[in-house]
Amino acid sequence: MTTPLRADGVRVRFGTRTVLDRVDLAVAPGEWLALVGRNGCGKTTLLRVLAGLHRPDAGRALLDGRPVLDLPRRQVARGLAVLPQALPAVGALTVRRLVAQGRYAVRGPLGMLGGGVDDAVETALDDCGVRRFGDAPVDRLSGGERQRVRLALALAQDAPVLLLDEPTTFLDVRHQLEVLDLVRRLAAERSLTVVSVLHDLAHAARCADRVVALREGRVHADGPPAEVIDERLLREVFGVVGRVHADRSGGRLGVSYDEPAAPP
Amino acid sequence: MRTALVGLLAAVAVAGLAGVQLLVGSTLDAGTALAALAGRADALTTAIVLDLRAPRVLIGLAAGACLGVAGAVLQGVLRNPMAAPEVTGVGSGAMLGSVVATVVGGDVASPAGTAAVALAGGTLGGAALWALAARSGGDPMRLVVLGVLVSAVLGGTTLVLLTARPQLTGSMTRWLVGSLNGRGWEHWAALWPALAVSLVAGLLLAGVLGLLSVDDDHARALGLAVSRWRSVVLLVAVVATAASVAAAGLLAFVGLLAPHAARAVAGSDHRVLLPLAALTGAGTVAAADVAAQLLTAAVPGDAGRIGVPAGAVTAVFGAAVLIGIVRRRSRATVEGTG
Repeated sequence: MTTPLRADGVRVRFGTRTVLDRVDLAVAPGEWLALVGRNGCGKTTLLRVLAGLHRPDAGRALLDGRPVLDLPRRQVARGLAVLPQALPAVGALTVRRLVAQGRYAVRGPLGMLGGGVDDAVETALDDCGVRRFGDAPVDRLSGGERQRVRLALALAQDAPVLLLDEPTTFLDVRHQLEVLDLVRRLAAERSLTVVSVLHDLAHAARCADRVVALREGRVHADGPPAEVIDERLLREVFGVVGRVHADRSGGRLGVSYDEPAAPP
Repeated sequence: MRTALVGLLAAVAVAGLAGVQLLVGSTLDAGTALAALAGRADALTTAIVLDLRAPRVLIGLAAGACLGVAGAVLQGVLRNPMAAPEVTGVGSGAMLGSVVATVVGGDVASPAGTAAVALAGGTLGGAALWALAARSGGDPMRLVVLGVLVSAVLGGTTLVLLTARPQLTGSMTRWLVGSLNGRGWEHWAALWPALAVSLVAGLLLAGVLGLLSVDDDHARALGLAVSRWRSVVLLVAVVATAASVAAAGLLAFVGLLAPHAARAVAGSDHRVLLPLAALTGAGTVAAADVAAQLLTAAVPGDAGRIGVPAGAVTAVFGAAVLIGIVRRRSRATVEGTG
């Protein structure tokens, strides 16, 4: 099968700081790839490069084998949906009308004349369990509800690839797990390929098929969670002393953090 | 439902104001004017109603509607509730264009020629603002400051032109203040197509405007070619503004307040907001012109002969309303944080 999404020698600088340094990454169809690493290691930037929202200084991102920046924006949005870290202020927009904006890529400017609300929107609202808030203004919702609305917005695009930037930020533990499980269920149902930035290694271990750890703008480790996540990774990538253990049933990894590691 | 009701009421109010403008005036009583409309009056009376009053009424409505559309579009695309033709350089650019057309004279000074040069001026003003704003990100506050600066430069240039041609100053102050005095069918002919085009284009672009009015990255991620569509949408606002300014001068505050009022009812759905803003703008100018004519009748001497410009009324009234809005907002903010 073809690679839906890949980065080819991507290099990004902000001023004098090199954020990504020749990163190569090929995402396999149907997998959930988790990008992990410290703050400022380039995870979000890599996601934005993959989405065609940031032009790298060198290298390129390919969507279905074609340079993402050469494709019309609408075609990109039909191929991949992005969930950015924070939803911009949407004022008094209702949930249904916001989610309907996700149909722009499919329907085009004139197709939005009716508002864009169609079956795909209702299905996305249903799948994310937010249909009952459909007519409520988005800014009245709680953080967890809002996160599910944003997921519905991304799903309404009907794109085969989903890019998630910190989907669990601002949520308490229960809502974090709910959102991640929801993504996992929907990804299976809709055969989506998922690339997500995740802060919490335990989350990465729980959801992802593959973990890519970035350190100082380079890929430091790449593989299944059980192989990649260990005490050395905690020390080298995150700078913490901690422990990684399989839970009693042997299925899942547990991660505990003890203290910041002494600087090398 | 509520929106439809408000829209209906607004339409009735606008029609009523237009009727008052058409039937009531210093030269004829309402009965005679009605008779003229029905074709049962002498040639002079008919000419006063059909060739002097009717185009004035229609131009006022269309100029106001254009400003309402332009303001609503600008506020959406710039994501700024304070955006309006007069604070973005678009209005003063169109004003400069109109004055340039008058100074050049000849065919260029014809209503259609003036509208064309005003369009060029408005585009120049909008492009200047956008070029400056693009370097400093899309920060709303900075955009307003830059817009005021661009307007000041263009307004200053206009004044230089006015003083350079003192014999034309009298006829050119209309662009600065905004007035419906002395407007005829030839001005209407240059105005209504621009209103039709900008309103229809604005409605067709409602979906695009909805995406743009949230956030650039959001719109781009959802598949919108942001800079291209933003230019198209801004052009709609420039066309509407230029036509309005070329016909009636820069009627202050209409393009700021009409969309504000419409938004309070219609929310952010541009399919409803644009027609309602057009209606509100039309009504505002009609009401201002009625007030201006009442003032003209009440003031003895020269003012009575020249005619109080409608733009003077919108400026004073608009400033008062704006101060009210700002006061209420700042109070709401204080209470909100308390």
